[in-house]
Amino acid sequence: MGMSAATTAAEGIKFCIFDLRRGQQEGQELDKILFFFPADLPFSAQLSVIGLSEGLITFTRIFSPEAACEVIEAERHSHVFYEAEPDIWMVMVVEKNESEAIWRIDALRKVLKEVHSLFLMFHGSIRTMIEKEPAGGLIRSHLYPFIMDYLSACQKRSLLDNCCWDFLLGKKLQLPSFRDCLKERGTVQMLTVSREAAIEVQSLVRVLESFAGNTQFYSLILFQDLLVSTTLSPVDTINLFTYAVLRLTPRALSSGVSSWSYLRKGSTTSNVATGSILAQSASVSEQNFRSRDTSPPGGDNSHHIARPLQPDRWSKGKDGFLVTDIWGAEASSSTSATPTIWLQQTEERVYVCAYQYRSLTLILLVPVASILGEQGVSAVKQQILENASLKMLKIEEKLSKGWAGENAYHVSGYRYLLVDGDRDVSRASPPGKVTTLTKESLLALSKVREEVDLEKGRMEHDNAGQEKDLEVCIRAKNNAWVIARITKGKELYMVLEKANETVLYASDAVEKFSNRYCNGAFSLD
Amino acid sequence: MSSDSSSTSGDEFTNPNPNPNSTSKPLEDQFASAALTEPDNEPPEIQESPNGVVNGSVSENNHGEIERNERGGAVGSNLEARQSVRWRRTNSEVEVEAPSSPSSSGYAGERGSSSGSGSSGGFEMIGGGIGGDDDEIQEVSNVDSIQDSQASWMPGKRHVDEDDASLSWRKRKKHFFILSNSGKPIYSRYGDEHKLAGFSATLQAIISFVENGGDRVKLVRAGNHQVVFLVKGPIYLVCISCTEEPYESLRGQLELIYGQMLLILTKSVNRCFEKNPKFDMTPLLGGTDVVFSSLIHSFSWNPATFLHAYTCLPLAYATRQAAGAILQDVADSGVLFAILMCKHKVISLVGAQKASLHPDDMLLLANFVMSSESFRTSESFSPICLPRYNPMAFLYAYVHYLDVDTYLMLLTTSSDAFYHLKDCRIRIEMVLLKSNVLSEVQRSMLDGGMHVEDLPTDPLPRSGTLSPHLGQPRDSPESFREPFVGIGGPAGLWHFMYRSIFLDQYVSSEFSPPINSPRKQKRLYRAYQNLYASMHDKGIGPHKTQFRRDENYVLLCWVTQDFELYAAFDPLADKAVAIKTCNRVCQWVKDVENEIFLLGASPFSW
Repeated sequence: MGMSAATTAAEGIKFCIFDLRRGQQEGQELDKILFFFPADLPFSAQLSVIGLSEGLITFTRIFSPEAACEVIEAERHSHVFYEAEPDIWMVMVVEKNESEAIWRIDALRKVLKEVHSLFLMFHGSIRTMIEKEPAGGLIRSHLYPFIMDYLSACQKRSLLDNCCWDFLLGKKLQLPSFRDCLKERGTVQMLTVSREAAIEVQSLVRVLESFAGNTQFYSLILFQDLLVSTTLSPVDTINLFTYAVLRLTPRALSSGVSSWSYLRKGSTTSNVATGSILAQSASVSEQNFRSRDTSPPGGDNSHHIARPLQPDRWSKGKDGFLVTDIWGAEASSSTSATPTIWLQQTEERVYVCAYQYRSLTLILLVPVASILGEQGVSAVKQQILENASLKMLKIEEKLSKGWAGENAYHVSGYRYLLVDGDRDVSRASPPGKVTTLTKESLLALSKVREEVDLEKGRMEHDNAGQEKDLEVCIRAKNNAWVIARITKGKELYMVLEKANETVLYASDAVEKFSNRYCNGAFSLD
Repeated sequence: MSSDSSSTSGDEFTNPNPNPNSTSKPLEDQFASAALTEPDNEPPEIQESPNGVVNGSVSENNHGEIERNERGGAVGSNLEARQSVRWRRTNSEVEVEAPSSPSSSGYAGERGSSSGSGSSGGFEMIGGGIGGDDDEIQEVSNVDSIQDSQASWMPGKRHVDEDDASLSWRKRKKHFFILSNSGKPIYSRYGDEHKLAGFSATLQAIISFVENGGDRVKLVRAGNHQVVFLVKGPIYLVCISCTEEPYESLRGQLELIYGQMLLILTKSVNRCFEKNPKFDMTPLLGGTDVVFSSLIHSFSWNPATFLHAYTCLPLAYATRQAAGAILQDVADSGVLFAILMCKHKVISLVGAQKASLHPDDMLLLANFVMSSESFRTSESFSPICLPRYNPMAFLYAYVHYLDVDTYLMLLTTSSDAFYHLKDCRIRIEMVLLKSNVLSEVQRSMLDGGMHVEDLPTDPLPRSGTLSPHLGQPRDSPESFREPFVGIGGPAGLWHFMYRSIFLDQYVSSEFSPPINSPRKQKRLYRAYQNLYASMHDKGIGPHKTQFRRDENYVLLCWVTQDFELYAAFDPLADKAVAIKTCNRVCQWVKDVENEIFLLGASPFSW
């Protein structure tokens, strides 16, 4: 639904990662490129994208040394910049057109941020990997499949999903457009639980913590695609939540199967794992990388690389634990087959144990340093089965009873997005309801969000320390009310169609909503 | 600037210390005054001393010169004529340049003004000055002034000693550049164009790099900075700003700067680039820095620059009628446009037959006349182009100041109409004096326009007289001015602007406390700009209404087919009362429209 499509074949989108510390010598410019999509673009064209980006980064630093180029708006394209790590830049070039490809820059930048955050979680920083193998083969061979998997995360998401999309559908690359203006990437969607259920969840969390003994385990609990509980830091919560919704929740596991079988039917390629076009371009790219790679392992190092975002590699075992062979590929290199990730907050490597009971998914994170390899992991799993599974069953029952389905958070008459910036939590009208809005209303809201993004950016750059307080209420040409409210780190966006024409009506509507659903956060008095 | 100077300035580009000789102010002042006493050096823009006092006088040989050169009347020859007129200006430039100073005579006056405002902390610095506000110009000494913000502004280019290697240059809040498509600098708001050749080439490279990729760059954003590009054939315009103005506003400003350039040169300047891509345009614009800097200054106080409407001086209906009648008389005798203005406000204007004048053309023309000191000293006859009327051809403007602020402009297509227009002016002046129009104008200047404090509580009876002052009786102008302390209008109303769409005119209330410093006025102006851009989105606009509240204001905007209203309130203003107040403002404007608008003028059918 509702996302804009750009045909990759018609070079509708370009996506690159480059390192400004590399390839400074003339003739070695290619060395800068760590990733480029589409990979079959001639090098001259790749270098042209990177040359322009680098030129503008340098140019803008003349005037704005602390914040270099963020976006280039040209008539036909937008170039979105993100400095993921010092001197490591991600640039996405999207084509514009009149009908659907109308982008909100901040939403696109959040895609870049997300893919980088996920990369950090699984592989650590790009810079570290470059330093490990300065020729660049290692980082390239990691980035390429990772980002292609991210872009191709090929399951069609359900209507319930608010936040995570898959970008490559067939030949079309799906990016967040104006139609997604009532969504916020990089936030977590929470389940509202009753007090009774909350107590049960707390007790489960305590049980899980008790497994750790002297060390500390972390846990994340989801119901459907909504977060119930976390003991992780906000940044790690967002990353793991994003991953879980993409790959681990019951919906992710099941929808993968169905959409995948459909794709298989249409595809004659023997490469089942990746999907047709991507597989082809991936191999093209690997050849490219090899041709310029002088590092010895060049040829077959791709076999050792875990591809955590690869679709349909997770399944639910009979014991309730989610299993995958993604990390198993590394077994030969004597590492564990149990998935591991990096926590940004504590900079420790942890095992990921995911256990699922019906709609309830538990992710327990066990520091690698605290237990003895696979044996330790099995011991922890045993403890979950013995001490936690019954509690989970009860909790699942309770939550399912109270769960109103995918339209649970629909508020009749309103189409809204509520973002709590301090907690990185968002809640929004169900996507199925948002699609009832006219294109004009969505465009108007997208524009207002762009204005708000700019204002927020200014606040950040100015380091003013004061919190933005803003109220915008627009009666659009199609008579819809388009509303943005920013106050005390919270943001509320709203579209009211078929509403009365006075401003007072609109602000009453906000007031009611605020009192009822936001504890009065946006109420005036 | 000769064509090879760009290559030599490449060295200066990296040199943070400009030629010490060039900064020696007394020497330049000498040159400046030397130039001023030379009767041959007639360019108006040069004859401006540091403190803005008029030193020179413009003889009518200006007119003679044009007559001599432009008998052909063809556009091309007009341009050559312009070139020859300008040559006389650059002539002095060469003379001045000889004794080791790179400054042209055009710069001499400006440098004077830069020494006047100087580096005493008056200029704009990010985070510098007072609280890092977005003020650009000499706010330090004027923070508490209740004057119009433009009153404190010093004309002319400042900081010519800077270039892109200077930290101070890089920290200017708003740069404007004009360059040619070969990368040659034509104009820079700050710094010496010659020294900015390298920087100019960079801008050109960015534009052409994107163009080679089959696209056209519009905007680059970095932190709080925006770089806005506008390509007009062989002319490139670039703005680099951290003023928080929306892209659409900055782009509109570049359009106006381009229009100002056309007003001086016409679009036929493009042919010079067709003949010679390396053509150096700077001599053609020699001495016009002050015109551009004055236009750029108006971007921060004159709503006409984004509303695309003009404003009138409030006058009794009969008075304006009297002025209009005599202008109409003249227009019937072969004058294309007859415009009577007081500062940037229109008293009356008349167009011949179906000729209509675009508000942007009026803005650029008024700016050209007001920023050039020479027009003030004696009658002048000058070739000008109205870019919206006909960008290819010169018209001829007869300009004469009737008093210190009031000036008459008679526009014609005929290059030898000087004496006829002079006769017209004499007739007009006599009628205006006899009918007391000029004294009414001065009185209106003193009284000001609409004050939010005067917003009627109840709708006025439609019949009956509305004067003496916009419907609100006052004892006398004298007794009102002295003790008058504005307190803002009812319901926290601080300010409003009303634009009549059909008339192409707007009216803006006088500034009242708390919007009483130039800095606060500029901030409100910028808030209006944002509101305007938000309402008039190209794709989905215009919206119908907008209510916007932040820590500074409550802003209300209302766009209908007939008018647009922009109003600013105290941020704590009650929404319901504010809306009622807006309705009253609209009613008030309608009640006094006879006095604040020029009605029944020829329709501006654009």
